[in-house]
Amino acid sequence: MGWLGRTLNSSIGKKTVMAVTGLSLGLFVAAHLAGLTSIFRGRVAFAAYADRLHDLALLLRLGEIFLLVVFLLHITVGLLLFLENRRAKPIRYAVRNSASGQTWGSQTMPYTGLCLLLFLGYHLASFSLNDYAPIDVLLRESLAQPATGTFYLIALLALGLHLSHGLWSSLQSLGLSHPKYDQFLESGGVGISVFITTLFSLIPILALFWPGFLG
Amino acid sequence: MQLDAKIPAGPLADKWPSYLRDSRLISPANRRQLTVIVVGSGLAGASAAATLAEQGYQVKNFCLQDSPRRGHSIAAQGGINGAKNYQNDGDSVFRLFQDTLKGGDFRAREANVYRLAELSGRIIDQAVAQGVPFARDYGGQLANRSFGGAQVSRTFYARGQTGQQLLLGAYGALLRQVKGGRVELYPRREMVELVVVEGQARGIITRNLLTGALERHAAQAVVLATGGYSNVYCLSTNAASSNASAIWRAHRQGAGFANPCFVQIHPTCIPVHGEHQAKLTLMSESLRNDGRVWVPLNPGDRRPPGEIPETERDYYLEHQYPAFGNLVPRDVASRSAKAQCDRGHGVGNTGRAVYLDFAEPLRRDGLATVRSKYGNLFEMYQRITGQNPLAEPMQIYPAVHYTMGGLWVDYQLMTTLPGLFALGEANFSDHGANRLGASGLMQGLADGYFILPATMGNYLAGVAAGATDPDAPEFAQAEANAAERTRRLLAIRGRRTSTDFHRELGHLLWDHCGLSRHRVGLEIARQRIPEIRAEFWQNLLVPGSGSDLNQALERAGRVADYLEFAELLVADALAREESCGCHLREEHQSGEHEPLRDDTNFAHVAVWEHRKDQAPLLHREALTFENVQPGRRDYR
Amino acid sequence: MTINLTLRIWRQPGPDAPGAFRTYQSGPLSTDLSFLEMLDLLNERLSLAGEEPVAFDHDCGEGICGTCGAVVNGRPHGPVERTTLCQLHLRHFNDGDTLIIEPFRARAFRIEKDLVVDRSALERIIQAGGYVSVNTGSAPEANTIPVPQPTAEAAMSSAECIGCGACVAACPNGAAMLFTGAKVSQLALLPQGQPERTRRALDMLRAMDGLGFGNCGNERECEAACPKSISIRNIARLNREFLRASFFSEEE
Repeated sequence: MGWLGRTLNSSIGKKTVMAVTGLSLGLFVAAHLAGLTSIFRGRVAFAAYADRLHDLALLLRLGEIFLLVVFLLHITVGLLLFLENRRAKPIRYAVRNSASGQTWGSQTMPYTGLCLLLFLGYHLASFSLNDYAPIDVLLRESLAQPATGTFYLIALLALGLHLSHGLWSSLQSLGLSHPKYDQFLESGGVGISVFITTLFSLIPILALFWPGFLG
Repeated sequence: MQLDAKIPAGPLADKWPSYLRDSRLISPANRRQLTVIVVGSGLAGASAAATLAEQGYQVKNFCLQDSPRRGHSIAAQGGINGAKNYQNDGDSVFRLFQDTLKGGDFRAREANVYRLAELSGRIIDQAVAQGVPFARDYGGQLANRSFGGAQVSRTFYARGQTGQQLLLGAYGALLRQVKGGRVELYPRREMVELVVVEGQARGIITRNLLTGALERHAAQAVVLATGGYSNVYCLSTNAASSNASAIWRAHRQGAGFANPCFVQIHPTCIPVHGEHQAKLTLMSESLRNDGRVWVPLNPGDRRPPGEIPETERDYYLEHQYPAFGNLVPRDVASRSAKAQCDRGHGVGNTGRAVYLDFAEPLRRDGLATVRSKYGNLFEMYQRITGQNPLAEPMQIYPAVHYTMGGLWVDYQLMTTLPGLFALGEANFSDHGANRLGASGLMQGLADGYFILPATMGNYLAGVAAGATDPDAPEFAQAEANAAERTRRLLAIRGRRTSTDFHRELGHLLWDHCGLSRHRVGLEIARQRIPEIRAEFWQNLLVPGSGSDLNQALERAGRVADYLEFAELLVADALAREESCGCHLREEHQSGEHEPLRDDTNFAHVAVWEHRKDQAPLLHREALTFENVQPGRRDYR
Repeated sequence: MTINLTLRIWRQPGPDAPGAFRTYQSGPLSTDLSFLEMLDLLNERLSLAGEEPVAFDHDCGEGICGTCGAVVNGRPHGPVERTTLCQLHLRHFNDGDTLIIEPFRARAFRIEKDLVVDRSALERIIQAGGYVSVNTGSAPEANTIPVPQPTAEAAMSSAECIGCGACVAACPNGAAMLFTGAKVSQLALLPQGQPERTRRALDMLRAMDGLGFGNCGNERECEAACPKSISIRNIARLNREFLRASFFSEEE
């Protein structure tokens, strides 16, 4: 194995892959959200945004392929780490009692990750691979259904939890730490996840409770 | 038994250089063929094993603990002396030599102590190069603090964990040699026999503490760096596994035992709280820099300290020793505390404690200052006692801490048994009748890094080449002896645990051979010890078997040795009809309770020879002082 | 004050034998007793009753040698912060409490007997490079290597590790990153550690990876359980040192 293989295959190497892919996915989520804010400006603005996006077809394709690779890496390496970690602790303690280092986010990383994977499948199937109707109609009709809307909200909660640990954790894995900035990095990570989750959640909430959504 | 200290001739400062100049050397190719056993992995053991391996010898290193990083040197708090004169306060090798010799009340060899002082600076260099994070001044240079018994600042320290940091430095050096294949580590092994072939130490028998298996290890030389014997008192500040068995086994095989009665009792320890206490905790002596020691003026006064007015308090050290006050040396402070408690002035639940009060420094310097100096110690005190020293005075009492006695060694650190060397606290060499603070670490490392590696070659150069045969009858015999001992310990199946016997022995020694000794009490102890030992071998209960991890069996073996060793301790205390350093014979003190040293009759090292079925035989190595005139210690 | 406790202790006769919890009633205990003295008392009683005492490791009693350690109610070294098991006292428990006492658990730590575990894996990490390669006698005069005070203090904070293994025991993944990070940090900070800095990071990390430890999930349990409060900044620095050594040095 060459030096690169050895590096990436090491524990820190794998964590680095998780951090870099995780941060990339985080950036994508942020960009996606930025685009979707057009929803709040009404149907026309949203449709215009969708059209502009479609004009960039080639670039979009490339981006999608890149994202797919990043996703697959994040999932594969994440799964690998999950299995390795379970093997490293074959017997659990009779009582679990956190010494207060853990957070909800950190404890549930593999599970929120799995949740997001399931959601992604559904999300892609219902929007990207489905073109029987204009995107705004599709969005309004599906999210207004209580079951779908709730499912979205749950998935967004998972996203929030995942990001609340993942953002800071990625920086720590990459070695970014400094006594003067650690507090910022940590609360910044949580702050950004709350912000992203709240903004995203507004979409299903509006679809569920406001009849005039994208009308 | 021949006692030849082999001290090189010539002026004091030339002795060590001339020894090195005249030593025989071994070629690197031949060193590879020679194996040295090092028992113990504290400062002395780890530094010796690492350095011998660097020189090219094959080394086998043994320790009781699960890792060599856990030797009890790790618990040393205060610091390590080095005659660097970084503070430009007039320090020098000669001054460190003088302070150490005087601190030991002139019961150590001039040549050894001088060499120790001479090497002290190089130890600091070595530790710094290893990355030991000593405290620094703002300019990045090494910081120093002052310590008891000295008027200069020569103590280097790493927070309150100097021993830990130095040990981890030596441990790193050791592991580097493990990686290089020169050192083989044997953790969780207890040396149960020394093997002597044709009058020379040639190997050891160990018990694998996990499997109970007895193992034979052969070598060209054996080094014992197994620490002191404070735990013979049952309660001491030493770690639970610190024991005397290795040096006692060696003594029984012919190594002379020197000055066993020199036992240091540290004044600032947390008092005993009850019968089931496992160990005592020492708190740094530095507390006495600001804290004031007192007891209630009226015997039996049971009021809480806050309710006792100033007029009814006795700051006894301050008025008995106005010149030094609360900063009198360890032995004086310890004895005074005991005297107060004996007269009924003791405080706390047991009446065996005195107050160490920080009210005045708190008033004078403020909370922040006091906390910055002693915060860690206060925290430790509170963790153990549940009481806050900022709110009420601490309670302290003396506890056994360090043993200056040990295997007799010559200038080359070789015992009376050729091929057997003893380092650090396991030997008797450099501290005389009392050790100064921050000198223990210095001695362990001087022995291990510099002295033994220089003298070992000189010995091995004269040893016939060729491997020692672990199948030799001497090994088989030693192994059989060890197996028989284990079998006997397990076969008694009596009704008392070894801990119970140990406690009884500890009480006896503490009462009669502790802080102060008197012929009458010593005779009581001398008579009682064989009785306890006899009961031990009839009524001992060791649960479990000898073929797996059995901590009760380990303890029983050590207590069996203490029950033999204690007799020697008492015999030595009886034979030394004088008061010197930490050894106070009540018969030998002035009318004002000041110890009286007797240089005419007792300026010697008492060396005991073991004899089968006979009383041990006392030999004397005379001590001569050519460079410092023995003076009287007076702290009033 | 005296209290009574119910002790549920993991008993396991040997490394390959199955283990199980056994329940013991402590009887009245003074709250001045330390946790380990409580086990001593229990052992004395078990011995007299003809049972095997509970095997547990301990030595210095001062929280510095790193020998002791067990998990009490899910916490390595028990419920009190910055305190090793040997310094834990019974005054922190209430009358009638049940204490579940288990060995440190991780694949890299084999259970030898009852509460005694094999932590030699930690030794092998240090062996891979946790030192400065300087032979005795070859050291320069100590003050020729100035070290800025803040650097020396930071190195000391990393060097305080007692090697008890509580970080591994507390980590949900059984990782040894805090232990490894502390040693790598100490030497990466100091000028004495510079010549071997790259090699050390690579070798120690690879040694750690080969010993059955899990991966760091940045969950901070190690830091919270560490009796010496060693910071996870040491882990960040280890990450940095390893990435730097892997991607920006010529060594492999």
